Amino acid sequence: MARTDTASLPPTRTDFRDRAVGRLLRRPSALVGLILLAGILAMAAFADVAFPGDPLDMAGSPLLRPGDAAEFPLGTDMMGRDLASGIFHGARVSLLIGGVAALVSLVIGIGIGALSGYYGGRVDRALMRVTELFQTIPPFLFTLALVAILQPSIATITTAIGITSWSGLARLVRAEVLRLRNSELAQASIILGASDARIIFLHILPNALAPVIVSASILVATAILTESSLSFLGLGDPNVVSWGGMVGAGRETIRTDPHVAAIPGVAIVIAVLALNLLGDGLNDVLNGKGERR
Amino acid sequence: MMGRDRQVAGGIRRRMVVAAAMMMTAAAAVGVLPLSAGNAAAQEARKGGTLSIILQPEPVTLTPSTNMAQPTQVVAGNIFDGLVAYDFDLKPKPALAERWEVAPDGLTITFHLRSGVKWHDGKPFSAADVKWSLENIWKTIHPRNKSLFENVTQVDTPDDSTVILRLSKPSLPILSVLNGVGAPILPKHLYEGTDILNNPYNNKPVGTGPFVFKEWKRGEYVELARNPDYWEAGKPYLDRLLFRIIPDAAARAAAIEKGEIQYAPYNPVPFRDAERLSKLPRLKVDTRGYEWLSPLLYLDFNVENQYLKDVRVRRAIAHAIDRAALAKIVWFGYAKPAISPVPSSLVTFHNTKLPQYPFDVKKAEALLDEAGFKRDANGVRFTLTHDFLPYGDDYRRTGEFLKQALKRVGIEVTIRSQDSAAFIKRVYVDRDFDFAISYNNAFPDPQIGVVRAFWSGWLGTGTPWTNGSGYRNARADALIQEAGVEGDPAKRIAEFNEFQDIVLGDVPSLPLLELNFFSVYSADLQGIVEQGDQVYSSLKNARFVDAPKAN
Amino acid sequence: MLTYLRRSAAQLVFVLLGIALINFFLLHLAPGDAAQVLAGESGAATPEYMEALRRQFGLDQPLYIQFLRYLGNLATFDLGYSFRQSLPVSELILQRLPATLLLMGTAIGFALVAGCSLGFLAARRAGKLTDTVISIVALLFYATPVFWVGIMLIVVFSVILDWLPVGGMTSVEANLGGLALVGDVALHLVLPAVTLGLFYLAIYARLMRAAMLEVYGQDFVRTARAKGVRLRRIAWRHVLRNALLPIVTTLGVQLGSILGGAVLVETVFSWPGLGRLAFSALFQRDLNLLLGILFCSSVVVVLVNIAVDLVYTLLDPRIELG
Repeated sequence: MARTDTASLPPTRTDFRDRAVGRLLRRPSALVGLILLAGILAMAAFADVAFPGDPLDMAGSPLLRPGDAAEFPLGTDMMGRDLASGIFHGARVSLLIGGVAALVSLVIGIGIGALSGYYGGRVDRALMRVTELFQTIPPFLFTLALVAILQPSIATITTAIGITSWSGLARLVRAEVLRLRNSELAQASIILGASDARIIFLHILPNALAPVIVSASILVATAILTESSLSFLGLGDPNVVSWGGMVGAGRETIRTDPHVAAIPGVAIVIAVLALNLLGDGLNDVLNGKGERR
Repeated sequence: MMGRDRQVAGGIRRRMVVAAAMMMTAAAAVGVLPLSAGNAAAQEARKGGTLSIILQPEPVTLTPSTNMAQPTQVVAGNIFDGLVAYDFDLKPKPALAERWEVAPDGLTITFHLRSGVKWHDGKPFSAADVKWSLENIWKTIHPRNKSLFENVTQVDTPDDSTVILRLSKPSLPILSVLNGVGAPILPKHLYEGTDILNNPYNNKPVGTGPFVFKEWKRGEYVELARNPDYWEAGKPYLDRLLFRIIPDAAARAAAIEKGEIQYAPYNPVPFRDAERLSKLPRLKVDTRGYEWLSPLLYLDFNVENQYLKDVRVRRAIAHAIDRAALAKIVWFGYAKPAISPVPSSLVTFHNTKLPQYPFDVKKAEALLDEAGFKRDANGVRFTLTHDFLPYGDDYRRTGEFLKQALKRVGIEVTIRSQDSAAFIKRVYVDRDFDFAISYNNAFPDPQIGVVRAFWSGWLGTGTPWTNGSGYRNARADALIQEAGVEGDPAKRIAEFNEFQDIVLGDVPSLPLLELNFFSVYSADLQGIVEQGDQVYSSLKNARFVDAPKAN
Repeated sequence: MLTYLRRSAAQLVFVLLGIALINFFLLHLAPGDAAQVLAGESGAATPEYMEALRRQFGLDQPLYIQFLRYLGNLATFDLGYSFRQSLPVSELILQRLPATLLLMGTAIGFALVAGCSLGFLAARRAGKLTDTVISIVALLFYATPVFWVGIMLIVVFSVILDWLPVGGMTSVEANLGGLALVGDVALHLVLPAVTLGLFYLAIYARLMRAAMLEVYGQDFVRTARAKGVRLRRIAWRHVLRNALLPIVTTLGVQLGSILGGAVLVETVFSWPGLGRLAFSALFQRDLNLLLGILFCSSVVVVLVNIAVDLVYTLLDPRIELG
């Protein structure tokens, strides 16, 4: 994992901007994460070129293993669908689900957490009440209920995951903001009469970013995992190919033909891993900034 | 696979995986014949032992009076004996009724009950219990029997062991539903004057069967113990039945493989795992014991849909589906193509001389062209939404198969996924669908399970598993009603033949597959599958050949 | 402090009312009702049968009457009746509660201890091989779908090695009692608790590591180091205490979801917990039962959150309770 060089001198502000990307790239784990993620993005982008045609087509004989047939390098599933094509086309759907769901959570979570933690008092109580309303319902059950009520489709699954996963983030942000609001810097800014927005965006949120970034990478990853769990329980969208859906579809043959679930499973693991490595790298880089306090 | 609750399964063909010899010895041990000493010695049958059985999903109640769901019936079949049981040819054989007579005009049915039978609480079983059950359950709240017993005007019990049914019109199918779960007999002394649906004994049932209810630990197991006072001397062999609730299919496969579970009915594992388990010498996979159910997978077309109201479109879709491939790929051969809404296992009624829709893409395209639905620039004629029965992956994959099949003839299909409550509401209540897969059990008489999908009298009632297509045909309706009260078996056959011809011509509902469900059990067990309604009957003949498993 | 508690109590009532309202109407939006599900499972039905079921379930009443009735029941701490199961909701919940608490307690305890230790170790050895290995392994467990991990553990430890039972909570066949029963339950507990714990473990390890590295970089720690205080003492006294803040937050959130339980793990291991109960209640439209479970879970979450707030003040005296 990336090394946090606690002894190094803190960079100046301009230094930081210029060097952030470079610093990120110099961390091997972050680099690996970036490369993996870029690979997945490329798969998503070139799915139609690499595997033209519908990935749902029953293209070959069912349950071919990797290497059984040259035209199906990763084999086929129970319905004779090409797994390699599914992985490429599934990358789009899975990234979309993960990205959009995480975005929804981030916007709601940071917004509510920051306002709540900064203003405290009545605002805090009101917003935390809303948060608690969402938080009190176990998130996975809540997601399940929403998907069952709205009926499973890619849009409802994504929305449901986004709506149900921001509350933890909001509390985390709030806790950080609550802590930072009492920091010397923030207190000084308040005394100097800086506007609330300025204080929040310039002095508090950047310093609260480290745990938020860790959480954000976890959110994207969790969304991808949650989608696979929903599929495992039979609540996937049968009209599109997603990695989660492929794992879910492969669970029936998990003992006899494990590759059907394992291949998309590995894709999920790689994606989650990449996101986390990248998140760690960012975390370390941003921590460097945090040292300047 | 097992996630679907109405897992009413059936092995129609004698697709025997088990040695025929076993069936022979088993048949000798069935029914009223006492097991001879020589026979027992030859089989080295042991008494005692605990049999662990998969029960999935968890039942709602343990009394079969109002709940026809599979898990309830699988347990209840061991607790409640019926008037009769059914052999592999679906002929009734004696159980609580030692014999019975049907008057030539079909208007009187007399049952002579076995004497000396006791309820599990020690009270004697008598004709009054049968009369009470018929009047308060079979005729009223029982979801399937109501129409069959409607014309029973009076029940006489001249003595404790005689029950006489008097009918205003004949109802021949009655004799096909008289087993312990088809026409459940409840103890009058515990139910009379109570709210039957909320009676506490529904969850701690008291029956007359070979096993006595002991405990239901929700989420874990249901435990039954040997009934020491069972009327059939020497039976049951086993001390204890333990129905264990295991929600995940992979965990079920592991439990069976490991021997923690010795008997698992109703497709306990995915088909692919069944193939694997059937190769293990310790295990047997058997499709017998479901004959009484005869499940049929079918495709309901909403005949009010702008495209599907044209019979040519429905016929084209029928021609576009390769049912043999569907049976092989999606159902792993545990099914065979259906050619009639009356499954072939109903030998008497199944008609083979019917309009057929062989797999023929060209013909399908020609019919669609003829109907005026040409392909557009993208090769699409029109778009339909498909709803699949949400009872597990086999049904979802069937929907995916249909999607790909119809794409070849220019029909674009979107699959819609939903849970079973939403599915039932959509198809049977709101009728807000294009075409949907579903399945029904036929049972031994078309009157019980087949005609409901076509009778227009069900329309507008919002009743699940009835006429989903919205089909109305006066002649078909008339035939259904005539056959219901026809006393002459030959005439009924003729009526059902004509009925099949009409509905397969109009094809509002396309029969797809006759499903073959299977059980998995340990090879050191005998007497597990002994009759045609086995899965809904008792395990009184089941026994371990070698040393008992547990204890 | 007293004001805080009083305000919290008012808040609790408000949140619970909101929960009841949202849940009730949200769940009633779901298409289809319990009678249809039951009729569906039965594979047959008549209009009379459906009507009898609806009357029995109280579904023949208008929605607002059903809601008022529900609120009235709640006011008297009555969670209502599950008509489908023919048992009071509270009884059904209490039946499953011990199994749920046992599983979640063990899993979270395991995750907390193992995760924090690993995270601590990784942060101490930041950048070294130990750190990399710990981080990667923790991440792999986190990134692998939990049902897959569960099934693989069953295959390896139960089927192939035959060390542990496949699932369930006890060996019912064996009629065990006393100490033997405790041992038996413990054996059944291992795989589900580890499966669930491995997922949470990664979260704690990551949080611990990230938070500790952040604190390591802070002025007071560097000052302490500069003053020559030994690293171990710094780690224990300052860093650990500060790093616990996000962990306590996360723990609060996760303890809150106890009652929802681990649907997936309970499914894979046939564990008779509340998650599975809620899951089936959802699909069976057994709304009284589902509402009851969600409601209880809400109570727990609100209480835990209050506790977390209090713990904050203990960990970091600078935080004021507002």
